[in-house]
Amino acid sequence: MDGHSTTEPNAQVKVIFDTPEADLQLPESKRTLLVPSDIRRYGLSRILNSESMLETGAIPFDFLIDGSFLRTSLDDYLKANGLPHETTLHLQYVRSLIPPTYEASF
Amino acid sequence: HTHLDDEAQKELRDFHEALDLWTTFQTRTHSLALSLASQLRLILTPSQATKLSGAYKTGKRLRIRSIISYIASDFKRDKIWMRRAIPTKRTYQIMVCVDDSMSMLNNGAGALALESLVMMTRSLTMLEAGQIGVLGFGEKTFVAHSLGDPGFSSHDAGARVLQQFTFKQEQTNMCELLRTTISHFSEARLRNSASSGSEDLWQLALILSDGMVGKSERETLRPLLREALEQRIMCVFIMMDNAKGSGSSVLDLKEVEFVKGRDGESTVKLVKYLDSFPFPYFLVVHDLEDLPGALAGLLRSWFSEVTR
Ligand SMILES: [Mg+2]
Repeated sequence: MDGHSTTEPNAQVKVIFDTPEADLQLPESKRTLLVPSDIRRYGLSRILNSESMLETGAIPFDFLIDGSFLRTSLDDYLKANGLPHETTLHLQYVRSLIPPTYEASF
Repeated sequence: HTHLDDEAQKELRDFHEALDLWTTFQTRTHSLALSLASQLRLILTPSQATKLSGAYKTGKRLRIRSIISYIASDFKRDKIWMRRAIPTKRTYQIMVCVDDSMSMLNNGAGALALESLVMMTRSLTMLEAGQIGVLGFGEKTFVAHSLGDPGFSSHDAGARVLQQFTFKQEQTNMCELLRTTISHFSEARLRNSASSGSEDLWQLALILSDGMVGKSERETLRPLLREALEQRIMCVFIMMDNAKGSGSSVLDLKEVEFVKGRDGESTVKLVKYLDSFPFPYFLVVHDLEDLPGALAGLLRSWFSEVTR
């Protein structure tokens, strides 16, 4: 792990998904989820693509929180912004413009 | 310096604001409080002893076992009836535990919890059910109103309780709440038996919360809940959820697990949050109007189970 994380194992964050893309809307009952708080963009993409969610297979997604792209884990995002784990995060997902092979570098 | 931090004056809501809030809630929920009181009166006051017993010349029901000797004795042994014994007086200690953590600010859970708190404490005060205490919990559990304090007949007492709930605690430590509740109740039981002897004491914890409990904590809670049960403390979890139909209701909430398969590949699994919720007795309240009926129903079935 990243070493400086003091978060308890199994920590979760509540997220609400939303998207501007008309063809990728989720039904309301699937928009709110509890996710492991050490999750990053790749894990979130996998969740959205999964059979229980959008069933889209392997579309790489990018996630916007408060207008900027998520480039860290949710844990680190919370820490960097001084937010407690009690916070509900609003995640806006969009099709990633970065080719999937780029994934390995972050 | 941790103890200094602890004692550092907890940020309080303005007293006049709290007083206004209490008055508004009390007025608005008056009829609900009455309805809860009248339903609870039937449940909490044993109107009859739980069992028929004894051998009497007159009574409520025939004692079948005595019939043969009654006939054999030429109808002389005529104590063939059973009666209900005099009901034991029950006393109650009721702890209302209110979640003071930040997550309560989502979906208006905090406001609903405070309004429920006012409605319930008013109702229990009208009933004169027994001692009422209020605990707040989050990162730290605190006593907002102790069991020994006078009830909630004055607005001032209520306002001083409301003042202490600001929903700024950054964690929800439900295990600490359970431990504190158990220890408060065991002290209170000792005090009660010293003062009133043989009365039948029932201890009830009513937890008002959005129900968001960390994953590892849900496991740690189970042994504590068993302990509470062994101490004859009944815990009712009242989940504040006025987000029904909006997609963020706890009824729809799922949690994500990455499950490693035999091939080492992990797959995404969605599990219903409530399926792993550790409290055996819980209610989901979408609207304050639902609370009296739902709470009474749950307590009724619980009492009929334990006094059977
Ligand atoms: Mg919370």
